[in-house]
Amino acid sequence: MKILLCCNAGMSTSLLVQKMEQAAEEKGITAKIWAVSADEVKNHIDQAEVLLLGPQVRYKLPGLKKEGEARGIPVDVISTIDYGTLNGKNVLEFALRLKK
Amino acid sequence: MAGYISFLENRVMPVAGRIAEQKHLQAIRDGIILTMPLLIIGSLFLIIGFIPIPGYSDFMSGIFGDKWLTKLLYPVNATFDIMALIVSFGVAYRLAEKYKVDPLSAGAISVASFLLATPYTTMFTPEGAGAAVEVGGVIPVALMGSKGLFVAMILAILSTEIYRKIIQKKIVITMPEGVPPAVSRSFVALIPAAVVLLVVWLLRILIENTSFQSIHNIVADLLVGPLNTLGGSLFGAIIAVLLVHVLWSLGLHGAAIVEGVLGPIWLSLMDQNRAIFQASAGAELPNIVTKQFFDMWVYAGGSGATLALVLLMMFRARSEQMKNIGRLSMGPGLFNINEPVIFGMPIVMNPLLIIPFIVAPIVLVVISYAAMTLGWVAKPSGVAVPWTTPPIISGYLATGGKISGSVLQLVNFVIALLIYYPFFRLWDKQKLAEEKASSASDKAASL
Repeated sequence: MKILLCCNAGMSTSLLVQKMEQAAEEKGITAKIWAVSADEVKNHIDQAEVLLLGPQVRYKLPGLKKEGEARGIPVDVISTIDYGTLNGKNVLEFALRLKK
Repeated sequence: MAGYISFLENRVMPVAGRIAEQKHLQAIRDGIILTMPLLIIGSLFLIIGFIPIPGYSDFMSGIFGDKWLTKLLYPVNATFDIMALIVSFGVAYRLAEKYKVDPLSAGAISVASFLLATPYTTMFTPEGAGAAVEVGGVIPVALMGSKGLFVAMILAILSTEIYRKIIQKKIVITMPEGVPPAVSRSFVALIPAAVVLLVVWLLRILIENTSFQSIHNIVADLLVGPLNTLGGSLFGAIIAVLLVHVLWSLGLHGAAIVEGVLGPIWLSLMDQNRAIFQASAGAELPNIVTKQFFDMWVYAGGSGATLALVLLMMFRARSEQMKNIGRLSMGPGLFNINEPVIFGMPIVMNPLLIIPFIVAPIVLVVISYAAMTLGWVAKPSGVAVPWTTPPIISGYLATGGKISGSVLQLVNFVIALLIYYPFFRLWDKQKLAEEKASSASDKAASL
């Protein structure tokens, strides 16, 4: 499972990455989860299976969704509550649901 | 309040989104980012050069000789003074990337057109002479730095637009198959490059016959002057902060959106200060409003000056939720990252907490501006401190090593604390009541 996260500078999403990795470990899922800035997404999207956006860059969704569709990758925005509370477990489950 | 929120959501957000996604503004923002690591490294040397300890200068010249400062500042010149040249390449590169045409060629053409717009002369005062003489055969460093920033950006956009139009119309020399791709790419760039340079050349010849004499002068008089006056004023700063926080209260990254427009202005204002600070560390600096002004004195803990709020949540909260988010937010908050507070508290779409979230930074802008205008606090010296630098340290560094910079951060922190306190209390009380109610109903259910 390869999950790519992005926000403006890739800083706050990197906090979430740690929490999601913990959650994945608890679930026994091997996952590669990483965060980049929104401008770098295009250099990383080919290695990802799911792309999740921080809510503060949700205006980028239409553009990135197109990029995702071209590659058959689901793209969506993380719920603000899960994002703010750094709920790695919920966001991981969200990613898994999208992947299906 | 619901009407206000829906107005923001339906009217303001789409506009903000369009601005943030506008190709040219994005290219400018991304292109300028290319200079940031260089400016930060240059700033380190600037800080080392002007440590405000009595006798420091004598101590250094005792060890390294009289010319120690000149030598130490070599990297400062090589970073700050070629800012426009790098932006010229970076903006064209990023824009070409968005059009999916060869960015490397676009960058190279842009640099050439920027230099083509620049007269290769400079004024030089020979030693012992009274008057300056014009010297030819040089690339004027002054115009390669922040003074040339806007010309570089405009020509980067102009040249890349011409370049991609011609490429997209397929008016190019195509090489037969078997020619290495790198070679055929350079031939593809040949016709567009010729057109771009021809246009800029004609433009330059034309302008040389007017009283402006160079493209740089036109842009400085008609564009940069008015923009700097507006963007550097207290009014401009308040409007900028207001916009950033209205956008953030919708949950959009306001700083990134507003900076796409105002970033270049703040950058050139910052560099004006840097040049004067470097020439003489004690001189009066012209500008207060620069990017550092916001990052260091207004955004302690992130947009909204939320570090104060986080501290309240950590130590004064009674509800579990506030305590938890406070604990979660303290670490990132020290480095000015505050999405956990903005989305977790939440401040986004929260009619109560949006009030201090918008009011506190505006008050801090006014106070900081006043303190610097009155000379109580040193102005930002042009040192490019990264926005993730923790407060207290960052205020000291951004003023070129003045304690007053840190003191103002402390004062601002206390002010933000007072502004947030009543709103925090109300919200915390509400959360506590919710928690009590739900634990009571849990108990009732288990009975």
